[in-house]
Amino acid sequence: MSAQALNKIRVLELTTAVAGPVAGCVLADMGAEVIKIESPGGRSLKSPGAPPPIEGAPDHPYNRTAFFNELHRGKKLLSLDLKHEDGKNIFLQLVENADVVMENFSPKIVGRLGIDYAELKKIKNDIICVSMPAFGKSGPYESRASYGPGIDAMSGLSHLTGFPDGNPGKPAQFYCDQNAGLTAALTVMGAVRHRNRTGQGQYIELAMLEGEMQLIAPALMDVMMNSRSPNRTGNRHDRFAPQGVYRCKGENEWVAITVRTDIEWQSLANLIGKPEIAKDNRFIDLDGRQIHHEDIDKLVENWTQTLTPQEAETVMQGAGIPAGALLNLNEAFTHPQFQHRNTLVHVEHPEMGTFPHTRTAWRSKNKNEGVAGPAPTFGNANKYVLSDLLNFSQEEQQKLKDLGIVSDAPLS
Amino acid sequence: MTEQAHETKSPAILEGIRVVDLTTGSFNYAGRLLAGLGAQVIKIESTEGDPLRHWGPFRDDKKDIEAGGRHLHLDAGKRSISIDIDSLEGQNLARNIIGNCDVVLESFEPGYLETVGLSFESLASSHTNLIMVSMSHFGQSGPYKDYHGSEIVDVAIGGYLRLTGEPDREPVKPYDDLVIQHTALHAATAAVVGIMHRDNTGEGDWFDVAAIDAALFLIGGPTQSYFFNGRVAQRNGNRLLFTEPQYLYPSTIRPCLDGYVHAHGNNRNQDLLAVLMPDIGLEPLFDTPMGNADKIDELMDLWLSTRDKFEVVRLAQELRLPFTEVLTPEEILQDPHLEERGFLVNLEHPLEPNLLQPGHAALMSETPWINQRAPLIGEHTDEILQTLLGIDEEERAELRDKGVIE
Repeated sequence: MSAQALNKIRVLELTTAVAGPVAGCVLADMGAEVIKIESPGGRSLKSPGAPPPIEGAPDHPYNRTAFFNELHRGKKLLSLDLKHEDGKNIFLQLVENADVVMENFSPKIVGRLGIDYAELKKIKNDIICVSMPAFGKSGPYESRASYGPGIDAMSGLSHLTGFPDGNPGKPAQFYCDQNAGLTAALTVMGAVRHRNRTGQGQYIELAMLEGEMQLIAPALMDVMMNSRSPNRTGNRHDRFAPQGVYRCKGENEWVAITVRTDIEWQSLANLIGKPEIAKDNRFIDLDGRQIHHEDIDKLVENWTQTLTPQEAETVMQGAGIPAGALLNLNEAFTHPQFQHRNTLVHVEHPEMGTFPHTRTAWRSKNKNEGVAGPAPTFGNANKYVLSDLLNFSQEEQQKLKDLGIVSDAPLS
Repeated sequence: MTEQAHETKSPAILEGIRVVDLTTGSFNYAGRLLAGLGAQVIKIESTEGDPLRHWGPFRDDKKDIEAGGRHLHLDAGKRSISIDIDSLEGQNLARNIIGNCDVVLESFEPGYLETVGLSFESLASSHTNLIMVSMSHFGQSGPYKDYHGSEIVDVAIGGYLRLTGEPDREPVKPYDDLVIQHTALHAATAAVVGIMHRDNTGEGDWFDVAAIDAALFLIGGPTQSYFFNGRVAQRNGNRLLFTEPQYLYPSTIRPCLDGYVHAHGNNRNQDLLAVLMPDIGLEPLFDTPMGNADKIDELMDLWLSTRDKFEVVRLAQELRLPFTEVLTPEEILQDPHLEERGFLVNLEHPLEPNLLQPGHAALMSETPWINQRAPLIGEHTDEILQTLLGIDEEERAELRDKGVIE
């Protein structure tokens, strides 16, 4: 992975929750040096559910939580109290030596800390600053508090996900956060390129709501074009029928199937042992199959219930019909296609040993991607930042530790 | 062209980068993003148009391949050249256009481009710094390479579908092409990675982007939990997927007087919930909030049932409780916040002169986000052939007669 896209780019990350940390992971994977800055008092010393330390490693449960390790892989960690004047000064000195500063504080906190773009630009004229507010830095919702699922609700995504006769739904986990994180990584890379070519830094504002609403256009347009009130449509598709999730042999086992054409429908009818319905006029075209979708679902499910998801998938795919077993996470990780794509990358953590991480969805011929490394142990970059980058003496560093401005372990 | 929110002096980030867009369906979002960042995106499509154009919504439900909603959004800012790519001459034209471009985006079934002489290897043999980004459901190689995908199949195999829906009902797919569009975001990011790598080294690259990987990327946290404690997450309705009794609750969607609200506790101060909803008996449940989720729902529902969603959210947000309204598309179109931010834009398409659509994905202080209307089929055929390949009017008439271009 020589000459990675973000080689020699230093990113300071002042983020919480999910979206900002995801952006940092992607930038680290692309070769940036990402230094996450965390308050010395910001983390619980105890972490229930953390895996045990490996032999000979110190017992620091706070370094071994799943959530932290997922969201900060490939980064370094500086433990620094920004609320203390000396801590803020260290941060500002670090900005002089950085390319990008990412934050997702509320607008109020950024103002209080005095680290907004206008201030940082005075220190380093070509700095690139990135904010990732939930709703944006203007407008009536600017100061609203929200996490990802709350933004999903305001984007229309919740209203549109689920069954028509059920509640609005939440897609798997934090769609809005992962999406905003990757969009931020994309725009930061673009801004770095712009700076490389022109010498000009800039301020990027990435409202999580607006990144997410790129998905909602069809529903919004249906309102404007047809005065319709778009509702949830479950597992159905407006151009393909039947489409659904069908019960298979076993407990909580399912297969997803999409029939895209009349020819695929006829194949399916034969495969499920009902050649007569291939010729049934009720089902002959898309409109008919949409009207009689429930009847078709019953026929399909009668067949899938006699098979495992993998068996149903294999039979359908054999006839060119899109079908896939609904995999549990543990099944996905051992699935031959994910194995083939090396979707999981194993990295070694100094206190836990080797753990896999998932990576972005691209593989390049030049191997210009990967997982930069494990998540940092608490304060693992303190010495690097203070000694190597900022030339603080041993005495000065000790004083900062005595005052609790820098710390090698959480102080809470 | 509209440049949003900021008076910008600098050229757009990707100005000067030429992209050939051969994608279809929601994979088109990749080219839309690169056009937003200022690249010149040339959409090569057949005379029938990209299948995206055949997918509504359409005004009054009348199919018009120049004015479908998905096309107007995902093709915004692109140029269109109409070429019969099944003909040998059409393939040669496409190759020559690519020869003058920096990036190719494509989403054909793996292996298809090879059959028309446009594989990465064949293109890169004469265009050594070409960047190609190939999107597919399962990837360009491996045991599932030739399998057929769709949004619902990709989210099934990507582990995402099992995690969405109520525990007592079959899993339900997320809205529309959520994962395919997210795959296109990975592809756009890969394209910029390739451009930067080429800036550094002069080398081209070929990126293989798979929707099943994008699905797994989106799952995030629960994947790491599995590696750490072996717990296989299961769908949990609108609750978070971490189900330890002491985990934060509520984070869910509940009905109220006139619709639904997203209700969310406060990690540091759960007692605020009891301030919002006093005297209903919530306090004793906060030691193990997730363990008491059913009981908390029951108590909250009663309180919510007499209040409308805007009132609930106003009261909660005054206490810094991150409650929000579950908004419908109609409500979003009336939303004062999006209006003040100028997020929904009218790109003045001749066939849809009053339509609003999502604008910027990000705002930048010095470089513009480009919003420009989607092209008509073949709108730029003459311009592109003339300026890029120097093919003059006479030659173009000949190509038209032969049906190679439109």
